[in-house]
Amino acid sequence: MATTAPKAGAFPSPYEIETPPGCEGWEEMYPYYALFDERRRDTDENRFWFWNSMHFPVPMPAFDVICIDSPYQAVGAWQNRVFAVPPAMGIDYRCVNGYIYISGNPVTDPAKIAERAEFFQRRAGHYFQNWPELYAKWRAKMEALIRELGELEVPDLPEYEPDEVAFGDDRNTAFYEVLDAYGRALRLGDLMWQHHFEFLLLGYGAYGTFAEFCKGHLPDIPDQHIAQMVAGIDVILFRPDAELRRLARLAIETGVHQAFEQGRSPNQIDAELAETEAGRNWLAELEKVKDPYFNMATGDGLYHYYRSWLDDPSIPYASLIGHISALRAGEQIDRPTDEIERERDRLAEEYGALLDDASRASFNDLLGLSRTVFPYVEEHKFYCDYWFLTRWWNKIREFGALLARNQFLEDGEDVFQLSRYEVASALDELVLTWATGGRPLGPQHWPPIVARRKEILAKLADWTPPPAIGVTPEAVTDPMTIMLWGVTTERVQEWARQQDGGRTLTGAPASPGTVEGLARVVRSVDQIGDVRDGEILVCGSTSPAWAPIFSKIKATVTDVGGVMSHAAIVAREYGLPAVVGTGRATAAIQTGQMIRVDGSEGTVTLL
Amino acid sequence: MSRYTRPLQQLSRSDEPSVGGKSANLGELLAAEIPVPPGFALSTAAFEAFMAEADLERTAEDALAAEIRATPVPAAVREEVTHAYAALAEAVGIADPPVAVRSSAVGEDSQQATFAGQQETYLWVRGGEGVCDAVRDCWASLYSPTAIAYRARLGDRAGAAAMGVTVQLMVDADVSGVMFTCSPVSGDPSMVAINASWGLGLAVVGGEVSPDEYLVSKVTREVVRERVHAKDVQYVPDAGGNGAVRVDVPDHRREMPCLNQAALNRLVDVARRIERYFGCPQDIEWAFARDDPDGLFVVQARPVTGLAKKAEMPKAQSAMSLIMSSFGAGPAKDP
Repeated sequence: MATTAPKAGAFPSPYEIETPPGCEGWEEMYPYYALFDERRRDTDENRFWFWNSMHFPVPMPAFDVICIDSPYQAVGAWQNRVFAVPPAMGIDYRCVNGYIYISGNPVTDPAKIAERAEFFQRRAGHYFQNWPELYAKWRAKMEALIRELGELEVPDLPEYEPDEVAFGDDRNTAFYEVLDAYGRALRLGDLMWQHHFEFLLLGYGAYGTFAEFCKGHLPDIPDQHIAQMVAGIDVILFRPDAELRRLARLAIETGVHQAFEQGRSPNQIDAELAETEAGRNWLAELEKVKDPYFNMATGDGLYHYYRSWLDDPSIPYASLIGHISALRAGEQIDRPTDEIERERDRLAEEYGALLDDASRASFNDLLGLSRTVFPYVEEHKFYCDYWFLTRWWNKIREFGALLARNQFLEDGEDVFQLSRYEVASALDELVLTWATGGRPLGPQHWPPIVARRKEILAKLADWTPPPAIGVTPEAVTDPMTIMLWGVTTERVQEWARQQDGGRTLTGAPASPGTVEGLARVVRSVDQIGDVRDGEILVCGSTSPAWAPIFSKIKATVTDVGGVMSHAAIVAREYGLPAVVGTGRATAAIQTGQMIRVDGSEGTVTLL
Repeated sequence: MSRYTRPLQQLSRSDEPSVGGKSANLGELLAAEIPVPPGFALSTAAFEAFMAEADLERTAEDALAAEIRATPVPAAVREEVTHAYAALAEAVGIADPPVAVRSSAVGEDSQQATFAGQQETYLWVRGGEGVCDAVRDCWASLYSPTAIAYRARLGDRAGAAAMGVTVQLMVDADVSGVMFTCSPVSGDPSMVAINASWGLGLAVVGGEVSPDEYLVSKVTREVVRERVHAKDVQYVPDAGGNGAVRVDVPDHRREMPCLNQAALNRLVDVARRIERYFGCPQDIEWAFARDDPDGLFVVQARPVTGLAKKAEMPKAQSAMSLIMSSFGAGPAKDP
């Protein structure tokens, strides 16, 4: 990436960012290599880093750093070492005040680029040509992995080992079983991330190429039309809500819908249903679809905060209440798949007809390939980020519970305040003292550390990270940065201009229309409940699992995201104006502020 | 048998050399069942008859226009125009119907060059005499200093001066404007770009107001971009019955968008039909009649000129080679 020397009004140096008061020592939560270290200053200070608020909108708890390391290990391994994407190696990350900044490593030597191109063409070509077959294998691998995770037991530490250990063959003592289970849990996580990125770059790449082609030939084509032409009709991501719609209809048909009263908790609803036969039947029906469809996450899955619908049914129950009241009001709630399919084909045909013959041939070829790869792009979220990851966090919670039962932690949930190495260390001491009968130091050692970190994280949550740090690039050329994060040259220039604080934010026009309303800034998923009817959602980014609140809001604005961001997809489904990738909406806008969102122009104005 | 006038609905493209581009195009639009206000065309023969009778040879070029305006229209032409106008009045059931009288130059409205704005348009003309006077004024406009300079710039391509005239029933427009069947800025062929303002089309065509601007997808009818401006003035028929006058737009309408989605849909439908009929991007003048929600009329269509030449696109590329280049891996090699 070409860069220029830092100048006034540009992004701050990563080495000049101050620690918010009371957060001293935040660095201890993170690996040494994740910091802007003086020993690397000469290179780190002269790079362009942008805040990855799409994946890491809030400060990282120490354990969750594994969801930075593993993905970047995996994406780099595939991108750089398997496919050898010619101009781009992997992505480096650094942590500042708990927030994650990333920067791609470019390949600039033309000879090296040519050498990598050979690999890329052969290997990526193989994937594109055999996509459906390879993807079917992938799904089988993921399902096996999820099963293996489910079968992984976190043993307890007994007073006496059972007889089997003494008399049976191949039995291990609990010290080994605990350490082994922890190691295996971490390895399964790594394996998920390695699967996650096997197809992702190529999938996004095919789609991105189609999108660029469309914009080259049809410069004013709305992004959503491009997405509509490609989007899957019957992908697994839509199934959970489809099941909820079916269950809503069933509730009305069997007369148990009265239980779903606005404002009731899932427990209250379940309790009322359990009182009648029809209600119990409905609950049994619900039970049948929970696995796998309630493995949806309440957020994008990279933090332990995001639980699944199984853990926290408030989102699906809110959805059920909404569907039931819509049905009773005579509204059509089904996703009109036939209509969506017809419209997708009509768009493709009409746009194709507007092109000359040669361009139409390329258009149709690209569209065909994009449609082939797109189910992966949509479905990997369900398999990896939701289904696997919510269960995996729960597995880690079991180790937290073990530590808490032994007073190493006050609460099992506190396990996430320790790094994965610290958890390994705590488990080491726990099984050591269990084995020896000696006095553990852990119960005195860990709780104060946890308490201090919770305090720091709470304070860091109020700090507003700049959208980018380091030097301003002349041009963003890294295809991955553009494809996956929507960070383009124009976007970066806009961020740089906004460093002086204008009243208008610019982002990508993601869903058309203009509305004014009160802003609701949501920094993490647990604040979703605060959103009121008719507000404009302002957030770092969203995931499809947030869909139910889209029926409440008037528009949405995000910090990061492009054509493909989930906020954009969901906003379009709901017909709400959306501006994505503003870089700083959550920083510039306060809850309760009046704003205007122009989803056709991609602007947000503070009124 | 008429020598000098023909009803618009009888004309087609092949009549362009004798009636000029505008009249011939309107004939084509009528054939395509586009709603076009009825009217008739004066042929170049009428102009030639006029020029033959007028004695202009010794007149200096810069005095020609004034000289033409002072010369009487030949009786045979006058009679035929009056007759055609009376027939129009009968056909539409209005006594002395208001008409627009516009030049229809030969060579105008072609893809090579547009004479747009180089000749006069006379709006809300009434009565046979008035029409004849306006026709003569149109002919005179061919010799205005700007028209002469424009032809000089085009050199050979302009050809010899010959002019037809279009006489067309006036639409008392509530809203009118211009639309392109592609984006004039980006050239995007999937868009219809619409400019609209209150009243007769003069204000938009003459650039006297900042019109409301709409960019509408041909494919979904969605408004992709919309800019509503303050529209300060409009042209309306003169209360006296002749001509159009410029008046202030009433305050409450000034910042009001002048088209709704239903109106946009109808415009896009008509734009697509016209473009499909002619087979190339069109520049269309249209009007919605006052007090008649169904009254959309097209008063002119011509090929879009001045579009940026498309960069030479390489031959069809396979998806694979395009994807390879977006990953910076160059075109794919054949396996």
